[in-house]
Amino acid sequence: MFDQQEPGEEEIVERVVRALKRPVYIDRALDARVMSEIARPAPAQPMTRRAWTRRAWPWLAAAAALAAIVIARPWSRDRTPPQSGALQFVLIAPQAASVSLVGDFNDWDPTRAPMRAARDGVWATVVSLSPGRYRYAFLVNGVEWRADPTAPVARDDEFGSPSSVVTVGGRGS
Amino acid sequence: MGIDKVEAGDAELVLRIRAGDLEAYSELVARYRDRLGRYAVHMIGNREDAEEALQDAFVRAYRSLARCNDPARFGAWLYGILVNRCRTTGARASRRHKMFVHDEDALNGAAHADQAERVEWADVVGRALAKLSPECREAFLLKHVEDLEYEEMAELTGAGISALKMRVKRAREHLQQILKEAEHV
Repeated sequence: MFDQQEPGEEEIVERVVRALKRPVYIDRALDARVMSEIARPAPAQPMTRRAWTRRAWPWLAAAAALAAIVIARPWSRDRTPPQSGALQFVLIAPQAASVSLVGDFNDWDPTRAPMRAARDGVWATVVSLSPGRYRYAFLVNGVEWRADPTAPVARDDEFGSPSSVVTVGGRGS
Repeated sequence: MGIDKVEAGDAELVLRIRAGDLEAYSELVARYRDRLGRYAVHMIGNREDAEEALQDAFVRAYRSLARCNDPARFGAWLYGILVNRCRTTGARASRRHKMFVHDEDALNGAAHADQAERVEWADVVGRALAKLSPECREAFLLKHVEDLEYEEMAELTGAGISALKMRVKRAREHLQQILKEAEHV
């Protein structure tokens, strides 16, 4: 069809590769669409039913009984989505010098949600989240990414470091 | 192009973006648009879906820039995001319609016989590529078109090196078979 001679197998693959290596035109308007999109605030991801969740705890109440909360993990028996508003995130990391909460909700910026150390290596912080599905992780000592050991793994994450998922429901949901 | 090739200025641009210079990101988009776009088009087989995946990859990379641990290797990191996006988009697209890039306009507009033949060959290649499994197509493109090493491919795809070698081998065999048949039509 394309050559009169019978091509060898290697030659076929080489011709395929040559064809595929030719430049492909991509609409230059894509640049503007990307820049327009990133100028907007990051939206929360749609909620999924199967995501495990944990209950929201107001910061002041949690601070009073932080150790007990971490040990008892009352939310682990309750898969009702936490309501939008203030959510507490906790990590036990006795050796850590610093821990930050990073996620879809703060553009993965470690400066926006530094966690405070309580006793016994318990780190905690509270963030306000609107309804949606969020991926998040803990950044320990500024270099080590850790998923939340008490939350489901974010299997749709592609950034090369472990992360977890939390799903937040609306008031009255 | 190896994945380890460091683009001059990538690290500087990433640091400028992290410092709040949004416009610096447009330089990265322009730098990687065509290179990554080629992979997306061949992987997904549909230009519209490929551009959507590419746009999504750029946006996701920007929003997660703090997770780019080595700004000098931004390109490799972005590549990983695009590979993942193409998997998602490709799976969705294959349920929606049969995939392959059929460039009818280019075929009709070809001024010379050799140009027309080249366009026709590209069309045949696109159809053959679409017949491969997504895993084999992905491995073949990364190895032979993007010129990545198997270690780099393993890093991007999460697959083992031996599995990737097998996928490339199968892709080559399958392409040879499909295209030989096409040449006898």
